[in-house]
Amino acid sequence: MSRDELNASEREELAALDRILAREPVGEQHLELAALVDSVRAGAPRMDPAFAERLDARLAAHRRRGGGAGARVARPGIRRLALAGSGLVAAAVAFTIVISSGVLSGGTTHPPAPANGPALSILPRKAPGATTTPTGATSAFAGSSVGAVPSTNLSVGRSLSARLVRRDSALTLATSPASMQSVANRIVAATEQRGGVVESSNVAIQGPASHASFSLAVPTGRLGSLIAALSSLASVRALNQNSNDITNSYNAEQARLADNVAARAALLKALATAATATQQASIQKQLNRLAARIAAEQRELDRLLGQGHTATLHVSVVAGASAKHAKASAGPFTTAFHRALHALEEILAIALVVLAIVLPFALTALALWWGATAVRQRARERAMRTA
Amino acid sequence: MTVIAALPTSGPGAGEQFEQLYRSSAADVYAYVASLLRDRTAAEDVTALAFERAFRRRALFDVRRGTPRSWLFAIARNAALDELRKRRRTGALLHEIADPSTELEDLDSELAERRLLVREGLASLEPRDREVILLKFVGRLSNAELARVLRCSESNAGTRLHRAIERLREVCGVTR
Repeated sequence: MSRDELNASEREELAALDRILAREPVGEQHLELAALVDSVRAGAPRMDPAFAERLDARLAAHRRRGGGAGARVARPGIRRLALAGSGLVAAAVAFTIVISSGVLSGGTTHPPAPANGPALSILPRKAPGATTTPTGATSAFAGSSVGAVPSTNLSVGRSLSARLVRRDSALTLATSPASMQSVANRIVAATEQRGGVVESSNVAIQGPASHASFSLAVPTGRLGSLIAALSSLASVRALNQNSNDITNSYNAEQARLADNVAARAALLKALATAATATQQASIQKQLNRLAARIAAEQRELDRLLGQGHTATLHVSVVAGASAKHAKASAGPFTTAFHRALHALEEILAIALVVLAIVLPFALTALALWWGATAVRQRARERAMRTA
Repeated sequence: MTVIAALPTSGPGAGEQFEQLYRSSAADVYAYVASLLRDRTAAEDVTALAFERAFRRRALFDVRRGTPRSWLFAIARNAALDELRKRRRTGALLHEIADPSTELEDLDSELAERRLLVREGLASLEPRDREVILLKFVGRLSNAELARVLRCSESNAGTRLHRAIERLREVCGVTR
């Protein structure tokens, strides 16, 4: 039996005590306890009638000031305040969602289409053969319209004053298997709309394993616009953009061509003044070799120029990200919904940060309060012991 | 025993519930506080303070944590103990409650003698024992309510109460 446990007769006595205090009859064996209770109660200090009146008046004054009815009023007041606060928070959240969804600014939002201005003012000059890989999607869009388009009427021997840049990009999109075909069709349409061509494509609809890939060629100046358009069709998983400055290669090829053209002119002059058949045959042989070289150089120049004119874009579409695939066929409200989710995520993130800041303070305050309460209670018990 | 199930602060009858608690407990609270403090003036102040505090905090009352009566006695107890602490710090003088023998003059001698004996016996008890007897006999708290006020388990409260009664019997020379 533990220290706290009472035996049966002790429990019976405590039960009898409760009956005595409730003025219920008890057995003879408990009459002595009843007398003890009576003596203690009779000996307890009694409230002075004057004090009783004063106490009544004090409490009545409390009720009048803000008590009885006041408390009843106060709580609905707090409730109204809480309601108003909740309303304000809800309005702020709704406002944030609406603003971030872009509904007010006219429906669907797409990544900003890059300007099609002169690329040369944007692209930094690089050493020949340098390759740049934009890292962020935003910066990728910002610089995606670059691609020097030198004059097509290049005269032989004149080097480029503008930069000639070869661009190729890779874009990975994610959409639901159900939207795969629709997204594929839109990719083709968007490419053709911008004067591009689909060099190769592969679309496989196989449920969750559905995928599609495209190799697109598009005028360099419209690459940014195409990427922006395709990015709005589905969730962008990855975007990789490479640029390669081929100006120096072009210029070197151009210089070699100019030299060969000059050499051919000199040989033609020599042929005209050749005295013997042997000399003529020799010059003709050199002219033939030179003509082949000039043709090859011209082809190379055309190839380099084509690279500068036309950018390649490899697009892969994978199945997944069902929450975001709806973008492919999203109307303004669907887009707004996604934006709202995004806004809520951001609000949650902010709330977490705030919580991370507030929580240590709150825990410290709680610990201090708890400690102070425990100390105060201990002091009270000590006061009781020494009373 | 007066038990009020809950202490609503709003809706019809909220004020009446507190009024009922006040009417049924004021005398007992005063008797308990005065017995603890042994000072009529301080007891009056503490009793008034306890009711005012209870009135202000009635919105915080949680029915799951006890009855309104135990809640009220816990407030009164804390206020009384704070008064004891303050008195210990300041060395305040006691305004002793009137000599009980003058109140016993009208009773027959045997009863008067018995009550005097019990009163003196109660005064000679350890404060903790005296308190538990006052809470039970004067405050008429159930053992569960007693446990809430004393911040202990119900069985511990029962044991403490029984031992306190035994000691009271002992000092009063009462045999069963």
